[in-house]
Amino acid sequence: MSTIKEFLSNDHGKCDELFATMEEKATKSLAEAKEACEEFIKETERHFQMEERVMFLEFETKTGMTQGPTAMMRHEHSQMRSLMEQMKEAIEAGNKDKFFGLSETMMILNQQHNMKEEQMLYPMAQQHLSADSDRIVSMMESMVVE
Amino acid sequence: MDFNGLSIDQAPPISAPLRFFLSAPLFALFAGFLILFSDSSALMSRHSMESIVVTHAITIGFFGFVMLGALTQMLPVLAGAKIPNVKFATKYSHLLLFFGLIFMLMGLLQNNTLLSSIAVVSLGSGFMMILIPIAVAIKGVTNFTSTVKSMANSIVFAFLTLFMGLFLLYSYSTNNISELHAIIANIHSVSGIFGFAGILIIGVSFQVLPMFYVAPKFKTFCKKRVIWLIPTGLILWAVLNVFSDTYALVAKLWITLFFWAFATTVWKKLNNRRRPISDVTVWYWRSASIFLTLGAFLWIFDEYFKHEYIVMVGILIGGGFIMSIVTGMLYKVVPFLVWFHLNAMGYMQIPTMNEMINKNLAKLQFILFITSLIGFIFSFYEPLLLEISAVCFIISAAILEFNIVAPMLIYMKIKKTEPDFDMRAFATKES
Repeated sequence: MSTIKEFLSNDHGKCDELFATMEEKATKSLAEAKEACEEFIKETERHFQMEERVMFLEFETKTGMTQGPTAMMRHEHSQMRSLMEQMKEAIEAGNKDKFFGLSETMMILNQQHNMKEEQMLYPMAQQHLSADSDRIVSMMESMVVE
Repeated sequence: MDFNGLSIDQAPPISAPLRFFLSAPLFALFAGFLILFSDSSALMSRHSMESIVVTHAITIGFFGFVMLGALTQMLPVLAGAKIPNVKFATKYSHLLLFFGLIFMLMGLLQNNTLLSSIAVVSLGSGFMMILIPIAVAIKGVTNFTSTVKSMANSIVFAFLTLFMGLFLLYSYSTNNISELHAIIANIHSVSGIFGFAGILIIGVSFQVLPMFYVAPKFKTFCKKRVIWLIPTGLILWAVLNVFSDTYALVAKLWITLFFWAFATTVWKKLNNRRRPISDVTVWYWRSASIFLTLGAFLWIFDEYFKHEYIVMVGILIGGGFIMSIVTGMLYKVVPFLVWFHLNAMGYMQIPTMNEMINKNLAKLQFILFITSLIGFIFSFYEPLLLEISAVCFIISAAILEFNIVAPMLIYMKIKKTEPDFDMRAFATKES
């Protein structure tokens, strides 16, 4: 089974692919991108919840750090949730300029967020939670999105 | 494990990078006016005072400023490194560098020893004030990725370039030009261009190309070996230059090979990127790739023509490669920083990144910039082209300044209003 770091990093890659597909379709027409956008939002939301409801909780319980890095990551998740909501609205309104402006912002925010997680938080989590790594990964895999 | 980068509270305030970004195009403007009012024959020689002044307005004033500003922003994100006293260091180093550079340019132009002497002190202390905290921050990084390693290498070359530069400027200020002046000047310029700027760009591109454009990741060989092979080539070249000039070409070929390979890799990665968007930043990466290839080969070619083409190499690599990439990145970084800091303060109604900078103005700036570079190259054969190229360069620098000021004004305007949410718990201490 993959480690927490591998599992979540690979999931970032999947979301990046979905994001690229969404933009690819949006260059042709926004209507075509609607489904891809929903798919991207669904998978990203799933990723956020795997972290917030499983991994972050385990990390916080183990280290006692509830106001540290995980709080900041939760905050950035909420920033991205708001952006994704606006992207959906831009598609509904057929506003291409607005959509690409938002997707550009989303892309950079998301990437710098992922980088912090992959280079700092995940290695730290792996270090503290290595004994429970398999259990945590399988909990994340089987989690039902709320 | 250092978590400083994860907290916006400890991320640098927006003023840290922006004060450098806002100043940079002003020095490009200065360089443009100097080219416009200089005699074309004076600019043909790398040793003329006009050439030296134009070169340093661009190298220190433009891409030096942007790179230092960007490092203060990138280190927390890319490396989780916190620059100690970042607010103090950026504020005062910027002041010292800004006025130090003006004194240096004026001192050299007017052969004024007093101004040059003040510049030695001001630039020396200004660079040390920012480079030392950056070096300390890098030293504290625990997750030493290829990008961080290349930043470390780049900073070593920055120190070397600085010490040699200060010695050269001191020589001018005392009118005491040593026998080694030409060799040191040569090593100083190669160390600054390929060592500081080149290695930094390569290291950052490992992250930036896959990040911003969903381009394929760089191979492990590039990431692990090239960042050591280039510095080795540069050191070898410097040693051979001093002790055995005849063999310096071997090291030159070594350096050129890796930079050319980098240029080709960038081009191919952009071709295979997953994001279809082709904005002005992609154009800048592509133009940088072309100019770097041409410049690298001309640098070798120049060896057989008694260095007749060295100024042209400078235009291709300094202007075409480094300035292109630095400008392209400004178009991504500045609007994002404005959005990011406003959002962190609780503002939700913020123009999107694409609304902050007028796309058509950015495209016009790109076209004028590239036209000016091509014009500068051909003005070696047709001096009449120099003036019109300088005008294009000046207008492009002015548009660039406007394109950086515009998002900044949006930031200031929104900041005067009440935020949608109270985010003081997360907000930056000073933005």
